[in-house]
Amino acid sequence: MSQAAADTRQGHIEVRNFALSYETIEGAVEAVTDTQIHVQPGEFVSIVGPSGCGKSTLLNAVAGFLKPTSGVVTVDGHAVSGPSAERGMVFQQYSLFPWKTVRENVEFGLKMRGMPKFERARAARTLLGLAGLEAFENHYPERLSGGMKQRVGIVRALATGPKVLLLDEPFGALDAQTRIIMQQILTNMWQRLKISVLFVTHDIDEAIFLSDRVYCMTARPGSIKAEIQIPLERPRQQAMMMSSEFLALRRGLMSLIREESLKAMGGEITDLGMQGLGIELQGHSIADIL
Amino acid sequence: MSSPALMTSHNQAAAPAAPGTADALSQPAFARAIRWFKLNQDKLRALLIGTASLILFLIAWHLLTTYRVVFFVKFTNVPAPLAVYASFTKAIHDPKFLMHILLSCRRIFIGFSLAALVGVPLGLIMGRFKLVHEVVFPIAEVLRPIPAIAWVPMAIMLWPTNEQSIVFITFLGSFFPILVNTLHGMTLVDPVLVRAAKCLGARETSIFREVYFPASLPHIFTGLTVGMGVAWVSLIAAEMISGQFGIGYFTWEAYSLVQYADIALGMIAIGVLGLGSSLVIRAAGQLVMPWRSR
Repeated sequence: MSQAAADTRQGHIEVRNFALSYETIEGAVEAVTDTQIHVQPGEFVSIVGPSGCGKSTLLNAVAGFLKPTSGVVTVDGHAVSGPSAERGMVFQQYSLFPWKTVRENVEFGLKMRGMPKFERARAARTLLGLAGLEAFENHYPERLSGGMKQRVGIVRALATGPKVLLLDEPFGALDAQTRIIMQQILTNMWQRLKISVLFVTHDIDEAIFLSDRVYCMTARPGSIKAEIQIPLERPRQQAMMMSSEFLALRRGLMSLIREESLKAMGGEITDLGMQGLGIELQGHSIADIL
Repeated sequence: MSSPALMTSHNQAAAPAAPGTADALSQPAFARAIRWFKLNQDKLRALLIGTASLILFLIAWHLLTTYRVVFFVKFTNVPAPLAVYASFTKAIHDPKFLMHILLSCRRIFIGFSLAALVGVPLGLIMGRFKLVHEVVFPIAEVLRPIPAIAWVPMAIMLWPTNEQSIVFITFLGSFFPILVNTLHGMTLVDPVLVRAAKCLGARETSIFREVYFPASLPHIFTGLTVGMGVAWVSLIAAEMISGQFGIGYFTWEAYSLVQYADIALGMIAIGVLGLGSSLVIRAAGQLVMPWRSR
């Protein structure tokens, strides 16, 4: 981990001319099309977009779980060919191993690397200490709260000292209060480790609060609609979320996403009996009505 | 937990020098005892009602047999509980009875262990490798619905000794539940956990050992529990048909020899052995899966 922290040149993600489609009985369905994104070493980048826009698909391709139909994904110039410990991943469903204690979960990546038992236990304890979880090292995940589980999930992903950290709506299942605390914890860890982060979320506030840069995706088939710099200074405080600068960014992103969400839902809404609600659709676009 | 609480209050009562302090100290102990009762209310209730229910069952049995009730079913020849108890006290000093039990246990042990040793790995491999699944599954599906007892004539032809054919029947009885449940457990493994392991640098063998196997364990143990039950069913049937020893044979022989009390004794012994072996499996399950017990 210390090596990763020392070398800030590492962890450059590059996604070029990316497209991914699924084969179905009706033919190929495009999930993501013509997409270019990049993450500089040590940069915190978020991807936001309406649900089903392919942002998770894109992240899974960077993780190495999905192969692009065309285009390339590279990390530090090497093409991604499959999942590896150099790209740590945090999942929305926590995905801790229920049969392993908190410490054994954190040790897992080190164990896979062949680190001796005693050493990896010590490393795991140190990391758990940073996340305020040392008292729970021998607990099984089932007994932890959602926020604690996800802290373990983040620590587990960081334990092997990956070049980049990929997070797929990691706080989506948490309540609002816990989510804010988790955002703060993630920011602290990221600043300490200087690791590149690619963060997928549908929460605009979260994306702005955490990121250096935000990509906004279009409705399916997903592609990059806009790229927004977040010039808010760091360290960021909770109070910033009320600043005019924050709110302006929020408004901008909100309208971008709203447009795409309506595009994505448009077909459904016409079909889903707006008539029954007594709403006249004739002559108006759905966006007008909503 | 109750005994320390009771002991403290007893000690306090034995110190009459300062009644005020004694009272103040015994109060929490008393309160603790009350709280213990409240916390364990449901368990105590189940224990009490369960015991009462068993006693009622024994009384009903006793009355039905002593008055030789005939009401659709005939209790005329059914042994009374006391007669069964008498034959039990005689039997536990009889090495032949103990030998019957030991032999049955040995057959269960060998047949069941073989079934677990073949069924669990085969289920795991079938769950992981498509080709093995495609080859083995149809055969398993065809053979599975055949009750183990139906295998008796075939088993006698297949195996040189009677002993081997009975163990084979026991094996067959437990094999399919173990295999099917293991396979089922493999299909239910959360794919996100597999992805998480891959992201942490796990290779195929590690994923198998660290994810698929532990994730399937709860279902494997369901299979073992069911398999143990069916193993006893199959064993007793096989012993009754073709045995010369074993607790199933003992029960059948008692009928032939008009030893009616021994019929009930044999039945109860089979029940206790079945219960005991499923408790052993449950205990093993808790030992192997500490994350599932609280």
